Formats: sequence, C-alpha cells, structure tokens
Amino acid sequence: MPIDLQKHDDQCWVIPREGRMRVPGRIYASESMIADLRNDKSLQQVQNVAQLPGIVRCSIAMPDIHWGYGFPIGGVAAFDEHEGVISPGGVGYDINCGVRLLRTNVDVEDVRPRLEAVSLALHRAIPAGLGSRSHIRLGKGELDAVLREGARWAIERGFGQDDDLAHIEEHGCMPGADPKLVSEKAKERGRPQLGSLGSGNHFCELGYVAEIFDEQAARMFGLALGEVTLMLHSGSRGLGHQICDEALRDMLRTSERYGIELSDRQLCAAPLSSPEAAQYFAAMACAVNFAFANRQMMTGFVREAFSQFFGSTSEQLGLRLVYDVCHNIAKWETHDIEGRRHRVCVHRKGATRAFGPHHPDVPADYRDIGQPVIVPGDMGRYSFVLRGTERAMQETFGSSCHGAGRRLSRAAAKKQARGRAIFQELQAKGVFVQSDSKLTVAEEMPEAYKDVAEVVDVMDAAGIAKKVAKLVPMAVIKG
Amino acid sequence: MSEAGHRYIEHTADLALEVWGANEPIMLAEACRAVIEVLTEAAPLAGTHEHPISLDAIDRGDRLVRLLNEVLYLALVNGFLTIDAKLALHDGGLSGKLVGEAHAADKIRTEIKAATYHDLQVTQTPTRMTARVVLDV
Repeated sequence: MPIDLQKHDDQCWVIPREGRMRVPGRIYASESMIADLRNDKSLQQVQNVAQLPGIVRCSIAMPDIHWGYGFPIGGVAAFDEHEGVISPGGVGYDINCGVRLLRTNVDVEDVRPRLEAVSLALHRAIPAGLGSRSHIRLGKGELDAVLREGARWAIERGFGQDDDLAHIEEHGCMPGADPKLVSEKAKERGRPQLGSLGSGNHFCELGYVAEIFDEQAARMFGLALGEVTLMLHSGSRGLGHQICDEALRDMLRTSERYGIELSDRQLCAAPLSSPEAAQYFAAMACAVNFAFANRQMMTGFVREAFSQFFGSTSEQLGLRLVYDVCHNIAKWETHDIEGRRHRVCVHRKGATRAFGPHHPDVPADYRDIGQPVIVPGDMGRYSFVLRGTERAMQETFGSSCHGAGRRLSRAAAKKQARGRAIFQELQAKGVFVQSDSKLTVAEEMPEAYKDVAEVVDVMDAAGIAKKVAKLVPMAVIKG
Repeated sequence: MSEAGHRYIEHTADLALEVWGANEPIMLAEACRAVIEVLTEAAPLAGTHEHPISLDAIDRGDRLVRLLNEVLYLALVNGFLTIDAKLALHDGGLSGKLVGEAHAADKIRTEIKAATYHDLQVTQTPTRMTARVVLDV
C-alpha cells in the first residue's frame, strides 16, 4: 500500500499517524528527492520507528535518508526516559562512526604541486584497508582504559593536545562506559584495530576551503578561503560491530519478555528503565569511546606526517581540530518538548548532532554561532561545514544530515566502474586517491553518491543547519 | 533443481542474500558458503580444517543470523574461512562443525560488518527451505 506522504512545506513532508504508529513521521527532503523516495523502503522504516514505545513528537528522517536495516539511515528518534526504549538497531553496527575536521593555515597552492607526495605521506601514516591493524600494540588492560576514557586516553599517550577535547562531541568521552560489559570477542576483534581507518566508506581526505557562505562562523571555526583542511571518517571498527551484534541477539529475547511488538526484528529494543537497557548503554558507550580514541590516534598520525612533510611543527601549521561529530549513537539529552524540559534518549542513525547557539554542550568558542556540523560528500566533488541552529533544537532534537547518501548499490557501482580507470578520472579532476583496493574505490566512486549539495541545501533552506563553508577534495586515502 | 544454491539481491546500502537448500542444515551450510564467497570474492578455498560450533537461538531466523555472524567472526578474527558445515539442529539452536581453510585472512577481499535481522525471511515449502538475509557491508 502506498504511504500517505503529505507536503508540509518545500523542505518538509509528513507521514500522518496511522495504524500502529504512535507519532507521525517527518521527512526533510526536496520535491525531487521525494519522487525517488516514494519507491524506497526507507519511508516504511520511518513508519516502523514511529511504532516503538515511548517515541516522542515524531520519527524523523534527514534528506540523506536511504534504506537501512531497522532504522532508515538518516533517521532520528527520541524516546521518553520513563516509557521509551533503547534500540541497538537504532544506533547501528558501526557505533560512533563519525567524522572530524582539522584546519591548517597551509595555502592550497603550497600543496597542489606536491599533492602526490603529500597523499603518499598520509597513506603511509594511517593504517587503512580491510582488517587494517594499528601501528600500536596495546598492553594488557590498556584496552579497558581506552573504552573508559576515549580520546583522553589517546591524548595522554601523545596522540593529540589537551585543547582537542573541547572540540569533540561529549569531550571525546561518553560517560557510563563499563568495559566489564564488553565481551572478550568484541575486545579481541577491536584490540588490533585501534588507530586504523578500516575500509568501505571510511576515509582520510585532504582538501581546501573553496567557498565561504558565512564569514563570521567560518572565522570562528578557523576556516579561511584557500586554506588546507583534513577530514577523517571512521568508527569503532570490529569492536562496535560485535557489541551491536551481541546486543541485538540479546534484545530479541528482551523485546519478547517486555511485550514490545516489532514490525522489524532489527528494531528490537529494551525499556530505558530496564537493566537490559543499562547494560547495552554501558557497552555501547565503550564502543563510542573506542571510536573517539581511534579518530584521535589518527589525528596524531596526520599531525606527525604533516609536520615531517612540511618541516614545521603542528602548531606552526595551525593544525587544529575544528570539531568531531558522531553519526551513529544513542544519547541522553534534555530538550524542550511542548513547553517543558524533557529527558530523552536520542537515537541518531546516520545523522549528526547540530546543537544551536548558546547550548551549553557547544564548545565555548563556538557558543555564539552554534555547533559545527561536518557533512562529507563524495571523493570527487565537495563536502560542507554547517552550523546548528535554534530551529534544529525545536524541530529535530538538535540534529542534521550526515552525508550524501548512496545513490547506487555497491554492486551497481562496481558494474558501472568496470572498464574505467577511476583513479585516473579522479586525478584528472585534481584528486589523488591512495588505496590498496581498486574495488573499494569503484564502490565509492563519486557517481555512487547523491549530490551532497542538494542534501545540505534542504537543511539550509529548512533552517535546521546553515551553510558555513564548502571544502573541495585534493587527496583521499581509502581503505 | 539443485540441492542448494544462493543468489544476491540488490540493496542500496547493503547486500541481501537469498539462499535455499533441500532442508535446513543444507540451507545453513549454503548460507555459510555464500557469505564467505562475498568476503573472498569467490577465492578458491580448501576444506582442510574443522572448527566446532554450538549456539542457541530462539527460532530458525535467529539460528541463521547467529550462525552467519559466528562464521564472519571466525573469518575476520581467526582467518578461518568456512566452505561447508555439518550441523545438527536442536531446540532452536545448533551444534556441529564448520569445515574450511584456516589462517587464510589474506584471502579476504571485502568487509561484511554483520548479518542483520532486517527483513529476515525463512520459508519452508515441501521440497526446500529458503531464507533471505540482509548483510551490512
């Protein structure tokens, strides 16, 4: 049966509450995006999430929405602390997959003539690829410290500087992590991977600021036209995958025990007030901290590689962390809902926190303008930096989009890439790609993704997150 | 009709797998083979080693997903690549052994994060059992 989708305004569509839905669905998209979505199962997934107990206000989808498993990718949902649930499928396998942006004061023209050499230096510095393993061997008991302390653990071991922490969501450490609740299997899977990029859509990208939309915000974020930037996209690697897998297995039984009706088993969940929910949250927080430490270590590798390459210190190069955001996470937050403060567990699955100005969780130096929202596009075109708004606080639990969203399946992308020289095509556009896997590059070629500009334009026009700067890639390290 | 087989179904972000067999243990063994085929991009593998397996599950669908995730774990952590499974079913769970190639991590070509419960279907007809499972790749 076709889904009843009603236009609210040019950027927002509503699925009215019907059947077992407890709240309506709310989708941010342009007219042309909606035409594609009508035949997609992701709208059904928005409806399924709306059926979960204790969901508050609406089941939300961002303009990069696409068909996921359980939750749609690009999905946001908040659950009441007393009546709501937590769902491992609403966080996903790659717990705290996220992206961080570093700025420099290096001019693009100083790098362009040496692009191949600098991309090789980055490729050497960052372990990347399938099952990639870190340069670092963790001693006994050290992994538990990583899971408890997150980015701080990495900084204390020399992979960063203290002021990095202020520019990481949650200050790089999710409270409530309990390594005792992480299985040996998960630890075994994650231990050798700390400080590595992984494969698939993860990347390290060297780019530059190509356009500025908001001078004041760009200045505050440290972004200036023509200056080089670095972006890292990675998550909690095998540790997060294993924690999610084990949690889903347990929560299938938990859902049955608490009488939670599921339209998709991947949405299995536990009441937030239950011991099972507390257990999952504590294990998930460990994976969140692993991912923060992972990105922090790679930041250390990048700083070192850059310092050696340019023969200057990281401080002289102005290599400073702009911000680090999580894409796949469930968090306790307090929001104004129908006139009162409400403590909710916000699930963001392929979505980014986008807190507006004056929120205490926005870093002090950005508090007047709102939190930076980093939205990577594909490796051939551009990415964007946005800032969170008050409107996001009112409408989306302070959330925004997270990327371009796939247009082609991985198989279809590989098929289209057959007989083409993707590396050379990108090089002709000025982008050096360093990867040991031709197949990964084929799966990740620019045409496999939607145009991220269309995605951020919807967010900007809806007032959820405002455009600050456009970044153009010059070199991409892929797993 | 062959006793067992599988095919891949397009899915924008992920990969769906349809797998069938004359009965459930044959279907499950075929599913293991299919997942390793994706992981290794159909590299030739030897069935020279065995690995014991035992797991609990609440029903057939759960049994399939849990088995595939165990097979993935063994591949990604131990480099054990399953090509066959000799399984006995009991009370929702299963036990038996996986047959495959050990220490073969270098034959892994692509990543699969997990077999998921999303859109999971297991159907029985008089002549065969068919399952559909979505892989997070």
